[in-house]
Amino acid sequence: MIDAGRFARASAPLAFALAAVGFVVVLVLWARGGGTVDLDWIPTLDARLSFRLDGIGALYALLATGVGAAVFAYSWRYLPLHLSHQGRSRSEELRFYALMVLFMVSMVGLATAEDLLLLFVFWDLTAIASYFLIAYDRHEPVSRYGALMALIVTGVTAVLLLVGALLLYSEYGTFALDELVEVAAPSATVTLAGCLIALAGLAKSAQVPFQFWLPRAMAAPTPVSAYLHSAAMVAAGVLLIGRTYPLLERSQLVLDGLLVAGAASIVVGGLLALTRDDLKRVLAYSTFSQYGYVVVMYGLGGPLAAAAAAFYVIAHAIGKSALFLTAGAVTEASGGRTRLSQLGGLGRSMPGVAAASAVAAASIAALPLTVGFFADELFFEAALERGTAATVGAMLAAGLTFAYLSRFWLLIFAGPVRVPVHRIPRAMSGAVAALALAALIGGVVTAPVAELAGDAGEASTGLPVELAAAYHLDLRTVNLLALGSWAIGLIGLVSLPLTAPALRAFAHAGARVGTERIYGETIAGLNRLSDRIHDFEVRDVRTRVAAVLVPGGILVLLGVIATPTEGAYVVRGISDDEVALVIGLALVSVAALGATVPRRHLTLALALASVGFSLSAVYAFFGAPDVALVAVLVETIFALLFIGVFALLPSRVLRREASLPTRLSRRWRDPLVGLFSGAVAFIVAWGALSRPTATESVGSEHRRLTPDAHASDTVTAILADFRGLDTLGEITVVAIAFAGVVGLLRRGRLR
Amino acid sequence: MRGTPTSVLTQVVSRLLLAPILVIAVAVLVKGYADVGDGFSAGVIAALGILLQYMAFGRAETERLLPIRLVPLLAFVGMLVALVIAAVPLLRGDAILTHAPGPRQDVVALGTLELITAVGFDVAIFLLVVGAAVGIIHAIAVVAEGEKR
Repeated sequence: MIDAGRFARASAPLAFALAAVGFVVVLVLWARGGGTVDLDWIPTLDARLSFRLDGIGALYALLATGVGAAVFAYSWRYLPLHLSHQGRSRSEELRFYALMVLFMVSMVGLATAEDLLLLFVFWDLTAIASYFLIAYDRHEPVSRYGALMALIVTGVTAVLLLVGALLLYSEYGTFALDELVEVAAPSATVTLAGCLIALAGLAKSAQVPFQFWLPRAMAAPTPVSAYLHSAAMVAAGVLLIGRTYPLLERSQLVLDGLLVAGAASIVVGGLLALTRDDLKRVLAYSTFSQYGYVVVMYGLGGPLAAAAAAFYVIAHAIGKSALFLTAGAVTEASGGRTRLSQLGGLGRSMPGVAAASAVAAASIAALPLTVGFFADELFFEAALERGTAATVGAMLAAGLTFAYLSRFWLLIFAGPVRVPVHRIPRAMSGAVAALALAALIGGVVTAPVAELAGDAGEASTGLPVELAAAYHLDLRTVNLLALGSWAIGLIGLVSLPLTAPALRAFAHAGARVGTERIYGETIAGLNRLSDRIHDFEVRDVRTRVAAVLVPGGILVLLGVIATPTEGAYVVRGISDDEVALVIGLALVSVAALGATVPRRHLTLALALASVGFSLSAVYAFFGAPDVALVAVLVETIFALLFIGVFALLPSRVLRREASLPTRLSRRWRDPLVGLFSGAVAFIVAWGALSRPTATESVGSEHRRLTPDAHASDTVTAILADFRGLDTLGEITVVAIAFAGVVGLLRRGRLR
Repeated sequence: MRGTPTSVLTQVVSRLLLAPILVIAVAVLVKGYADVGDGFSAGVIAALGILLQYMAFGRAETERLLPIRLVPLLAFVGMLVALVIAAVPLLRGDAILTHAPGPRQDVVALGTLELITAVGFDVAIFLLVVGAAVGIIHAIAVVAEGEKR
């Protein structure tokens, strides 16, 4: 590319502008009441390009573009530093922004898609983009491992989404969500499809039992984590649940499943976040714990819970992306330190970032004056509707969040100074501050956020929701619950030295018997299986050929025995003009028999070529000059290339292989297999040729059509026109084989 | 191909044969729609002609005389042309690989060569086959030289 460097430098502002413009456009469209786009896509499959900007769509599109803009502004300064630490060229920025923008666009598409197939396409696009983004530091094995894990977990479960969509389609004949919602009645199919779709959503949102991919994905550069693992990729899972909620809601089983998975995620994520040392790991565990809240709220059911879930997603995305960006800034300022135990006292030297991240953490921990406060208030209200057990659980969960976020912030910014601090670019701290400001504004001017979440809840459940988010300075139950959760959080924080060994034991047990272990074993097992099949396939070609020919021959023979034989095998005389043909065929037979004799590779290649040449003579006699020409040419060039390839093999290997004695068992097996399969093929061909064809054959149809193709040579017309698609496939094979051969010769073992 | 010195007679005959072989290849290609032969045969004939030069002169000399390095590129050009010819009808709403002009429409003809997209497709096959075959010959020759050293 011409001056890739300059283009790469321009890509950050471009991406930022795109995200900012996208944000404003979505905002304006939503303020005007949304809208729909509906175009034909694949009419034969009833798939449509249908988009709808409703509450959910606007919410996630705004998150994707808004947080996207902040992250792009941040990486404008962060990415050059990141690349220069690793000694990489700045031109690699281009790839980063291209993938991030692809991700952002797919996310907006996912948020607004109304058609299940379309949803699936965007779903997979986000998975693919995230794979490359997580593996952006591609020289690091950890990055590649994490990226592959994220791709496998979310990609395999994406198939469940597709299966669910197809199930619904087979039952109701449409992929359109709005139509499905109208016609789908509670039934086994809807439950099953709902389960599959919910599983896909849970895997994408890293909920238990799929949680393990998220901490591994932290090998990604910080802006990627801040974007994908706060506002986009992970949010896509709950977006799917919110989008298909009217269907999921029809089955209590699905709702209960969501409740269990969400609750388990809150507990597992929260407990593990309390003990992790790595900055981004803490945030990763915190993320899936927080999305556990959202999933629980969907599981609780009802329009209020759905709206509360949407509200929670907004509050969390803003706060968590700010915290991820803080982690990146802290690592940068401290000269590459990524562990809580290595940091401390940074509050004095980076007061701005400290204050901004305190606001962000407070928002997630639901302190007043931040948008998160209302998120938790709504959470408590939804739990209260469900009963005492849910309420107590909610309070404990909120306490847990408060504890690990306080620990995270205090270990970085409070305490004694442990490391020298470098200055960091303004744009980086600015992005953190902007997100923190958004959290503060949302905590004071609550109406827009509440309206957006209410709209999203309405889109999920079809019932209008009024979210009232305002401060009440009295002792109502939710306020008491909030106070209680902070108290629990403080107790948890103070008692951490006592509980830490138990928590570590818990983490250790999870690593030994958890789903990550199962994933690892499965992948390793598949690898071994694939190796074994490969070994089995390639070690002994003759056995493999025999394993295909013998069962195939037996099956065909059974068919031949089962069909009536009367008149099926005709023997007739040879007319005078067929004598040449018979002589040619006799030559072919002799050549074929002769090809079984030689032991030296070169002689064998020449003997095989002589079979081909005599066969092309037969074609020529038979009145097929086109085929004869191609056969002669192919035999010639293949014989020559064969000889050329033999020249590459060490001659002593060839000699040794040729002088190996045939094993006694093989001496009889191979000819018998050959004779048997040859005899079966002969019988079938004889039977087929004995039947006179009454109807017009394909051949004469082709001959009749040849003038229409402006041709006088039927064979060429067939190749280029009538069967052009076959030819296209074949030449594609030639091109791929060419690439493969050259690749092997240049870099493979032959060199 | 191992660079064993071949006699002057072989070299002279090979060089003299190159032009006729290429002409025959082009003839087979051009006349493909009217007579025996097609792009595939033409491609193999041309590749055999070039292979003969490798046999007689060795790799270095052949690649000095002919722009061999560019020939493998033809494979990708051919693939691209074939895909374009296959895909363009889709844009007009026709089935894939619908050739123009259609049945019973007028065709511009230059002798036996008719200017129809099916012939373009055939030419693409020709390019692909020449490119792939010569590319493989070149790769084998390079490795064979390395073996010898």
